[in-house]
Amino acid sequence: MLNVEGVSRRRAGRAAVSDLSFSLNAGEVMGLLGVNGAGKSTSLAMLAGALKPDTGGIRLRGEDFVAHPRLARHLIGWLPENAPCWPELSVEEHLVAFSRLRGATRPGSRRATDAIVERLRLGDLRRRLAGVLSQGQRQRLGLACALVHEPALIILDEPANALDPVQVGELRRLIRERAAAGAAVILSTHVLAEVLAVCDRVAILHEGRLRHDAPLRGDEGAATLEATFFAIATGAAA
Amino acid sequence: MSAMAVARLELRRLAVRPLAWALAALTIAWLAWTFILGLGQFLGAQVKLAAVADAPGFTDLVAIPLLAELAKLAFLVVPLMTMTQLAGERRGGTLALLASTGLSPRHIVIGKYIAVLAWLGLWLLATLAMPLAVGAESTADWGKLAAATLGTALLLATLAAIGIACSAATSFPAIAAAMALIVTLILWTIDRGAQAAGVTGGFLEWLTMATHLQNLLRGLVVTSDLVWFALAIALSLALAIRRLGADRERQ
Repeated sequence: MLNVEGVSRRRAGRAAVSDLSFSLNAGEVMGLLGVNGAGKSTSLAMLAGALKPDTGGIRLRGEDFVAHPRLARHLIGWLPENAPCWPELSVEEHLVAFSRLRGATRPGSRRATDAIVERLRLGDLRRRLAGVLSQGQRQRLGLACALVHEPALIILDEPANALDPVQVGELRRLIRERAAAGAAVILSTHVLAEVLAVCDRVAILHEGRLRHDAPLRGDEGAATLEATFFAIATGAAA
Repeated sequence: MSAMAVARLELRRLAVRPLAWALAALTIAWLAWTFILGLGQFLGAQVKLAAVADAPGFTDLVAIPLLAELAKLAFLVVPLMTMTQLAGERRGGTLALLASTGLSPRHIVIGKYIAVLAWLGLWLLATLAMPLAVGAESTADWGKLAAATLGTALLLATLAAIGIACSAATSFPAIAAAMALIVTLILWTIDRGAQAAGVTGGFLEWLTMATHLQNLLRGLVVTSDLVWFALAIALSLALAIRRLGADRERQ
């Protein structure tokens, strides 16, 4: 589904991501862990097509995504950090707009909007302006915008930000549901519990470099992951 | 078409934004006042004008000055309308989100431009409705009015393209508006120094926006004027597309 090969990117005069390589299969959920400033958001922005790598390649279903960012149109759904939105538009208008931007017809965008509104239980918020939503509600709107076209690769940057425990549980179910339907999911977070709850595999970024990439295996994996993460984050594993 | 999807989205946003409505209401009220004053003066001068051979008529004394007034207002209104188009999106993080839908910089810029043009077109039509309503009952010079309308429409399209280019260049809408205003003023008066030195004609005069609009407002449709506007629009949009494309590389 996704092959990342030696991707590097400099931002603000420093190496934000260096030589990032990994592959992701359909139906797989990968957690991307790292402390603040580790390069998670930059990596995800490149995978979403919003940033171009300085070097390296990204292949999506075998095609060169760096050269053809238009592949993102149908294949990728991205929830950026802080879930940006247009405050003057309603939840429904956002969903219809994103659906149409991704090439859906008017009736198709209506159907897709109805489906995602029902799935994410956004019915009460449907006609509310994004500008008056709480942070948690905006996060759910961002998630709905990322999923409205049923993408094959879902990229979620801190999706549980500002969600209450019930909504976090719902988010986890949704991620598993999409993965079971064949979507590949990348979930960036700095909360270990989030990764343990929903991911098949974990990658740890530190200072822009991929320092760990391994499958998660039950409770034993959880204990090991915590130790590995702290060792990497504190520099003990350098 | 992707550009149309962007245009539809942008038009929807313009329709619910107070700035677009406030600007339309205030400027149309001002233009209506200008029109009524002009019409009153024209009617008051009827006796004098009747005694002059080839005297200027309704089009020269009322309709074209109204369009010239609209052009003056556009210097301020268009930068205000375009300032958030890309700068605001970039600042709010939604520009990257738009780019992640697989839209090319060309589609985003053209879509935004179409939306601004649609708003400006309605603004021009609302203004034009005043002389048209009166002109239908009088002896308006329709050819001259059509040329002046074409000139005003081209001016609005050029200012919109300059505004979009300036909005693409920064993350701060206020800076984008100021840049667009300054660029417009420079283009409007670039030959002032040459004129002061008594030099007429030449490249600087050709470069000046006022030269090309004045011809059209006088009823003269000259190919070189149309080419100037087309070049200014194409160059501005190309710069905006180029700058937006660089965002993926420079951010």
